[in-house]
Amino acid sequence: MARWTRRRTKALAVKTGFSVYYVLFIIFIFGPMIAMFALSFQGRRGGTSFPMRGFSTYWWEKLLEPSSIGDLQGALARSLILALVVMVITALFSTMLAMAFRRKFRGSNLLFYTIMLGLMVPGVLLSLGLATLMRQIGIPPAWWSSGLGVHVVWTLPFGFLVMMAVFNRFDSSLEEAARDMGAGEWTVFREITLPLILPGIVAAGLFGFTLSYDEFARTTLLSGEYNTLPLDINASMTQRIRPTLFALGTASTIFSFCLIGLFIVVYTILYRRSR
Amino acid sequence: MTMPRKPTLHEMKTGLSRRRFVLTTAGAAAAGTMTGAPAIVYGAESIRTIGLGVSIINEIQSKASKDTGDRIRGQALGYGAMIGKMLNQNDQYEVAEGYFNDMDLMIPAKVWQPIDTKRIKNWDKVSNLTKTGRLTAGSSLGQGDAPFRHLWLNKDGSRASGPTQYISMLPGWHNADSIGYNPEETGRKIESWAELFSPDFKGKVALVNAPQIGTMDAAMAVEAMGLMKFGNKGDMTRAEIDQLVNFLIKKKKEGHFRAFWETFGQSVNLMVSGEVAIQSMWSPAVTAVKAEGVPCIYAAPKEGMRGWHGGCAISAKVTGKQLDAAYEYLNWWLDGWAGAFVARQGYYMSVWSNVKDHLSQEEWDFWYLGKPAAKELSDPFGTPIVKKGEVRDGGSYEARFKNIAVWNSLMKENDYLVKRWTEFLSA
Amino acid sequence: MLQTAPPHAKRHHSGLIGDQPAPPAQDIARLKKSKRDQAIHPGWLVAPASLWLIVFLVVPLIGIVVFSFWTPIRGGMTPDFTLINFGNFFRQEGFFDPEHRNFLKLGIFVTTLWTTFRFTITVMAVCLIIGYPIAFFLAMQVKNFKWQLALFLVAMVPFWTSYLIRAVAWLPMLGRRGLFNKMLMNLGVIDKPSSFFLYSEFGYTMALAQLYVVLCIGPIFFSLAKIDKDILEAARDMGASSYQVFREIILPLSLPGVAIGMIFLFVMLMGEFATAVVVYGGKTSTTGTVILNYYATANYPFAAVNAIMLMLAMMIGVFFILRVVDIRKEL
Repeated sequence: MARWTRRRTKALAVKTGFSVYYVLFIIFIFGPMIAMFALSFQGRRGGTSFPMRGFSTYWWEKLLEPSSIGDLQGALARSLILALVVMVITALFSTMLAMAFRRKFRGSNLLFYTIMLGLMVPGVLLSLGLATLMRQIGIPPAWWSSGLGVHVVWTLPFGFLVMMAVFNRFDSSLEEAARDMGAGEWTVFREITLPLILPGIVAAGLFGFTLSYDEFARTTLLSGEYNTLPLDINASMTQRIRPTLFALGTASTIFSFCLIGLFIVVYTILYRRSR
Repeated sequence: MTMPRKPTLHEMKTGLSRRRFVLTTAGAAAAGTMTGAPAIVYGAESIRTIGLGVSIINEIQSKASKDTGDRIRGQALGYGAMIGKMLNQNDQYEVAEGYFNDMDLMIPAKVWQPIDTKRIKNWDKVSNLTKTGRLTAGSSLGQGDAPFRHLWLNKDGSRASGPTQYISMLPGWHNADSIGYNPEETGRKIESWAELFSPDFKGKVALVNAPQIGTMDAAMAVEAMGLMKFGNKGDMTRAEIDQLVNFLIKKKKEGHFRAFWETFGQSVNLMVSGEVAIQSMWSPAVTAVKAEGVPCIYAAPKEGMRGWHGGCAISAKVTGKQLDAAYEYLNWWLDGWAGAFVARQGYYMSVWSNVKDHLSQEEWDFWYLGKPAAKELSDPFGTPIVKKGEVRDGGSYEARFKNIAVWNSLMKENDYLVKRWTEFLSA
Repeated sequence: MLQTAPPHAKRHHSGLIGDQPAPPAQDIARLKKSKRDQAIHPGWLVAPASLWLIVFLVVPLIGIVVFSFWTPIRGGMTPDFTLINFGNFFRQEGFFDPEHRNFLKLGIFVTTLWTTFRFTITVMAVCLIIGYPIAFFLAMQVKNFKWQLALFLVAMVPFWTSYLIRAVAWLPMLGRRGLFNKMLMNLGVIDKPSSFFLYSEFGYTMALAQLYVVLCIGPIFFSLAKIDKDILEAARDMGASSYQVFREIILPLSLPGVAIGMIFLFVMLMGEFATAVVVYGGKTSTTGTVILNYYATANYPFAAVNAIMLMLAMMIGVFFILRVVDIRKEL
């Protein structure tokens, strides 16, 4: 009995220690954003560095107005749409590929390293190579066609490797059991495999979304006549950088936290219902 | 009344940029949807123009659309992206708002078509700065890629040695760069490029992180210090590059440089945040620093400034009615409104006589003549940036441009220069 | 029918992550009744992605390789087959000349690639040290899947702000007049602002770790989460110390995740170019910045050569990581 209590106490201490470490870690990775939050309320005459010249919501209001250089709102919308599509395709392709890689097949090594190449090829040159090719054929590049193409090339290896981690030492006894009972492949996948790998699929999709939303170099020659958000921000830096960018960053951070909160609520409700 | 419906792919492609209208003037836009009338009536032709945020500014292109009746859409890009697109995708734009120092890439690549000066209404009014290289008779000729060295073409697009009917690019906005400094940090007036390497400012110096321009600023400084003599700073020999870069490496190892900046915004932030006391800088960046309440002076070094010149070119792919529309846009740039717009940011225009008509007397006196501001002046977006009584650093337009030491250039030894610059940065 | 790995001896099912309900018995009964579907050949599973990769990766990549043998000219390149670009990558001028100061000295681009590699390894180590305990915490200490995912997502939030924006925020944070300096001065740690945090190798390392650490947390978390908690409990009951449990069970089982995380980091860091400019003030060259510099002045063949060398280095690195830990062994 005493031994059991000691173990509990120790476990609690370990857990507290790790929790503190997690909080420190969060402070570390949010580090540069603290200044961003503060400076998004910079006064009208201030800029993107300290000192604060007053306090205002001027730059937040600017967020909704047309920008002078580029097209912040349009670019944001385009980047979000693109990232969402990339997310879905990445999740889908990664799952399919990882399912296939559960057993050795001819050319699997070649395919594995080809997928990895998407991670390695420098973005500007991939963009140049594809742009040259498209010009030869006479297809104009656009963010939703060629842009989408290279974004998936970039995000797929991430999603794929995540799914590889999921299927690593995957316990297939349940699937076997279902098959033994006469279930077809699709049914086995839907009823057994999918629920087990769903967190992995979500993670693969999230990697896809995140990396696409942030992607700059690959899009340079392939977004066509409309800029994605990173291209637009890059262009706006040929002038004074305004705290509007910080307002945008703060807004997307708040929005992300709202989404996570929503996720917790939805998950709780669904989980309860399934029980 | 029309019911809201799902946009088609085509509408998504073209219409997303219009979303900002919806966001801001939601009421008005809703009314527009109801009546089915578009907010702006565009002409038959659609012109896509690409360039940097210096000239691709929504206010400029939408005013041009209104005045010409064509639909002119700008796409602002970063420098690298811009060069890549100009060279490799001339079917993706009609007008390129480029820079004369990149002509050594653009002319051989034949991505642009020669511009017929007969079709440029104000051609006679374009100043001699670009035609002969001398703004006034007594001006000195700058070294390097001065516009007049890359301006004249034959009808087939090959280079011509002297004035012809055809030009590579219609000269537009330009400026002269030098050093920006914070007088409170330096404690003295800066009047020479040599100060860039003064041991007094060790650890508080920044250079622009572009091998082509950074080395030129360094060359100005080293020459001013009497350490080196260059045959042509705009086209250095390997030996000159070696000697210069070796000096830079020595300085870097001493910890002389705080940082190397890559964008306009970075240079502003470096100065505002007090990271550097003195750095190579662009004139509007100095204005931006001052607007944020930090003292900053734009030096007028006795050795002269480093000039650069932008303009509008037409893609080789443009023909027919679209070509007419492109010419119309080019002509519009010289009409004066755009010149006045960029003047309020500190840039000059090749046809300054027309600019004068679109500036107030106080603005003209301050921006072009270098006189004290008679009243508070604003930038083109309405933010006050010049206090009453302030004088523009570097003096009048004439004073700046009659003494351009060197123009931004792409040297013949560029590949070697980039290589040595790589070595410098990693040292 | 799809052949899968031999079934494990263990019949007991342990959820993938935390506690997840196993399909109830009636579901399995339902499966029995459903009609037999068509078996899926792996060829069908890989076909769409393969096609996509051929169009958007392999063909442009062939283009890059071809370009690397062309002759660069002003404003473009001419079709050719020359090795001069590769030569320029490896050797300096005067390489074969005993009198020259560059005699038998490797090219600056080789050195740059080597520096990039060395630095990458450092940052990878920092990320692993910071990230592993976080993954461990999420997988082992947080019991509920909902909270595991939520806490992981919180760590991902900074990524949903464009890095170009975050990059601008480094200066007001770590600069001389930045918040960090102010905080340290208020705490009395330093008495005057330090320029050590920004535009220094230290600041650069930390910034890269901050940017990329999440990439290695994800995969490690996944392999840790799959470890059957009953095994750990059993080991403890048999008297194994926490350290022994970690070293003998947890660590080996998490290695595939570590390997995948390291692949992510290795490739991302080798290709890095933007952070060097913003957080290190451009005071270093990486192969990524070299490629951009030559790209910007349209020397595409030489940019391509650097890209090919970079990809080769990455490929060797990934191959090496996979030799140490075979992530496909137990699929």
